[in-house]
Amino acid sequence: MSYRRYELLKELAPTMVDNALIISNIGFPSQEMYEIKDSPKNFYMLGSMGLSSSIGLGLSQSTDQTVISIDGDGSVLMNLGTLSTIGNYAPKNFILLLVDNGAYGSTGDQPTHTSGKTDLAAMARAAGIESVHVTQDGGAKAVLEQCMGSDGPHVIVAKVAPGSPKLKPIPMDPGYIRDRFKQEVSG
Amino acid sequence: MNTVSEELLKELKANGADYFASVPCKLLGEMINLLAEDNTISYTPVAREEEGLGLCAGAYLGGKTPVIVMQNTGLGTIITSLFSLGLFYNLPITMIISHRGTPGEKIGTQVPMSNAVKPLLDTVGIPYFAFSDAADVAKVGRLVQHAQVAQRPVAALLDFDFWGKG
Repeated sequence: MSYRRYELLKELAPTMVDNALIISNIGFPSQEMYEIKDSPKNFYMLGSMGLSSSIGLGLSQSTDQTVISIDGDGSVLMNLGTLSTIGNYAPKNFILLLVDNGAYGSTGDQPTHTSGKTDLAAMARAAGIESVHVTQDGGAKAVLEQCMGSDGPHVIVAKVAPGSPKLKPIPMDPGYIRDRFKQEVSG
Repeated sequence: MNTVSEELLKELKANGADYFASVPCKLLGEMINLLAEDNTISYTPVAREEEGLGLCAGAYLGGKTPVIVMQNTGLGTIITSLFSLGLFYNLPITMIISHRGTPGEKIGTQVPMSNAVKPLLDTVGIPYFAFSDAADVAKVGRLVQHAQVAQRPVAALLDFDFWGKG
């Protein structure tokens, strides 16, 4: 069986949820995080595709806790400018986990440009981010743990296969997601 | 005597604003310089308005009181996320918007979007308040509080007359 985002998140979720605040991208990433390990420390995006990295950046500037934005190749391509903002303004507690499966998964696995010639890790470096890592499949776990234990900002481009399990939409009201997350942040 | 930009920043901060993201406009030039020099707030210049809305959303989740400073033309880049982030999650974000294309404007291409700004904000459902007199600067500052009460993004439209450039 191929190693997809679901298998990756299943492997990383315990480490992330116990030790960080998480912004989960719209669509399957949020649904998968909900199914794997729901927690008040997960903020599930139900809209605003492209803004996972930006929401995580704003949060990381406002708390001392480690913040992980789970983003995708299609989403980052929609908001490339934010890589330059991260490169210049992201604090040391920010991690962008860019799950790169080369496809717009939630809309039927249409290919993104990273399945062609585009290299998001190189773009992140060129945007001014110094700690950029590329991993394949389960190799992301050791790198994420290393990043969580050191000063960032960090970007991990985690290469996985496209495809997603069939999951249900998150049965939560956006106000509930907001309030329980906000309460978790402020303790 | 303080400038309009100095007074505006003072009033926004007095009403609790402590996190700012901005995209440039000629009318906002001095304000943006003041933000960059102010060590009592968090300030991040962003590449595009939608990104700034994302930063403000994250900052609010982190306990801050956010303000996005932008030109009205940027509204075109931000509408989808005003719906699916700002309004859907009821996020109190104050939008300080320079209103180009109003009398005093020298660039014709600013006028069509200028005319569309209020209908667009009405359609999206963002409360907005337009100001043409710098004497009203305290009222603009109070919108930070109003966003908390309204539990949604709230916009101020500040035209050439407000900035003393009419």
